[in-house]
Amino acid sequence: MTNYILKRLGQGLLTVFLTVSTVFILIRMAPGDPAVSYAGPLATSEQLAAVREQFGLDRPVLEQYWIFLQQLITGNLGQSYSFQAPAMQVVAERMPYTLTLAAAAILLTAVVAIPLGVWMSRRPDTGREFGVNVLTIAGQSMPDFWTGIMLLTGFAVLIPIFPASGFATWGGLVLPTITIAILQIALISRMVRREMTANFAAPYLTVARSRGVKNSVLTWRYAMGNSAIPVFTALGTRFAAMLNGVVVVEVVFAWPGVGSLIVRALETRDYPLIQATVLLTALLAVGVQLLIDLAYPLLDPRVRLGKAATA
Amino acid sequence: MTASTETPFKEKPLLEVRDFQVELITDAGIIRAVDSVSFSIHRGETVTIIGESGSGKSTTAMGILRLLPEDLAVLSGTVMIDGVDISADPKAINKVRGKTLALIPQDPMTALSPVHSIGNQLFEAIRIAGAASAKDKGALQARAIRLLEQVHIPTPEKQLKKYPHQLSGGMLQRVLIAIALASEPQLLVADEPTSALDVTVQGGILDLLLELQEQRGIGILMITHDLGVARLISDRIHVMKDGSFVESGEVQQIVDHPATEYTRDLLAAVPVLGPWDETPAAAPAAGRRSAGTHAAGTHAAGSSATGGSSATTTDPALTQTGASHE
Repeated sequence: MTNYILKRLGQGLLTVFLTVSTVFILIRMAPGDPAVSYAGPLATSEQLAAVREQFGLDRPVLEQYWIFLQQLITGNLGQSYSFQAPAMQVVAERMPYTLTLAAAAILLTAVVAIPLGVWMSRRPDTGREFGVNVLTIAGQSMPDFWTGIMLLTGFAVLIPIFPASGFATWGGLVLPTITIAILQIALISRMVRREMTANFAAPYLTVARSRGVKNSVLTWRYAMGNSAIPVFTALGTRFAAMLNGVVVVEVVFAWPGVGSLIVRALETRDYPLIQATVLLTALLAVGVQLLIDLAYPLLDPRVRLGKAATA
Repeated sequence: MTASTETPFKEKPLLEVRDFQVELITDAGIIRAVDSVSFSIHRGETVTIIGESGSGKSTTAMGILRLLPEDLAVLSGTVMIDGVDISADPKAINKVRGKTLALIPQDPMTALSPVHSIGNQLFEAIRIAGAASAKDKGALQARAIRLLEQVHIPTPEKQLKKYPHQLSGGMLQRVLIAIALASEPQLLVADEPTSALDVTVQGGILDLLLELQEQRGIGILMITHDLGVARLISDRIHVMKDGSFVESGEVQQIVDHPATEYTRDLLAAVPVLGPWDETPAAAPAAGRRSAGTHAAGTHAAGSSATGGSSATTTDPALTQTGASHE
């Protein structure tokens, strides 16, 4: 088990390293000049040269990469150009907002999608199930910027019950959470439905029914107990993906998380800030994914007690 | 083999099925999978429904237990289990499931929830049967261990903590029988209980069923395609084809005087086993000899009924099955 964790940690660190290295190269290949963004459109070429020298951008790319690698080891990715503060610190301050939003969205998804999926699986081919089915397809098809703007228009402008932007009060969490959750609920509820239907057709369920196990127990203990493994994995993977910043939703709702931060960093070509954001979010995503994998044996005795656990 | 079949039954049958019919709704239309089937099972008696795949034998069993999907299967006829009419009121089945009635499934490897432990699933059955209360962990445990001992599972207290994937098919079938016994059932429905098991394990499971029947006087409805199994444990046999019984009777009568070609085919499908294998040359030789003496040499059933001597028989399987009852 320790070997397995070490192996997975190694893999995770390699993933993070390759990600930040790729980003390092890509942002330098992309058009745009940080010096122009920083000094403004009216700056003279002397001023631009001074800025470049100050940021170390006048050096060869390989040398910049070497400096970046040294920074990686110390964990200090340099000053953000636009914030004039350590880049890592800027990102770390934004992280809790994204974490809050992602956690709220995944919680809402689980709370709605699991009962909904179970409900659909228990009433196949009825009119109401068909209706919900159509809704989930609609939910899957709606782009989140559109959903976000519609919710904003509806519940912040026309009926102003929630704030339109920012995270000044807990009410500000409602609309962005719903916006993200709609797509996730649509996907997860259909998955729950599929898993539950398959488990309800499984022989062990028929046998359990034959010994007088009640329907509610069959549904929640038997079918759900067996469906929980793939559903839990899907929820965890989606949560990990959200930590990379729910960019569009954060921008639409002016949410002060890493998603809106990275948009700003890209606009200003703030290289240290981009690199710091990518590094932190990649670390978090890999960490969460590792936790999911480690939680597997708790859910599935076949993993806990089979060959897979020792591999 | 129980001899109780000879005596007439005064008490009410454990299971009484009259004009039972199952219609399955499929994409291709409505299929009558079981067509007006009637039979009964008394205490301590084993009744077997035998037939090839698709003959409707398992559908009959699952229909009686009301385990077919409600929206796909239409049931009609009368089914009385221990005096409870479960055909009139669909909810009545809940009164007998896990109490007087228990199922032993076809494939033990898939018949237990893979994420719940053996003990977990056994405890649940005990609680449903009302044999021990949920709070009394000690009583539950003691009862579970006693049940596992009854089905001859070694070191039962260790098995309770195990999960289905850690046990072999034969062990799992024993666990399932223990779970079925939790409620002290009077009627067991065994749906091909040995067909998914190794040949070496099959005999052990059948022996166990016979032993439990002898101890407790349980009635067994056995579903099988294997006449070898049927012959070993049944009192009466119903031969099923295309949803209805083509032949019914005492086990000896069916085996010795099969009335239909279909039953003869089923008999011929039984491999030659046991002491008859010790003289491998004799059976074919006898067949050849009889083929020589009887020019046609095909009316085996009649000749074996009167003589029972291998010399007059053309079919070694018939010789074997007939002789084993002597």
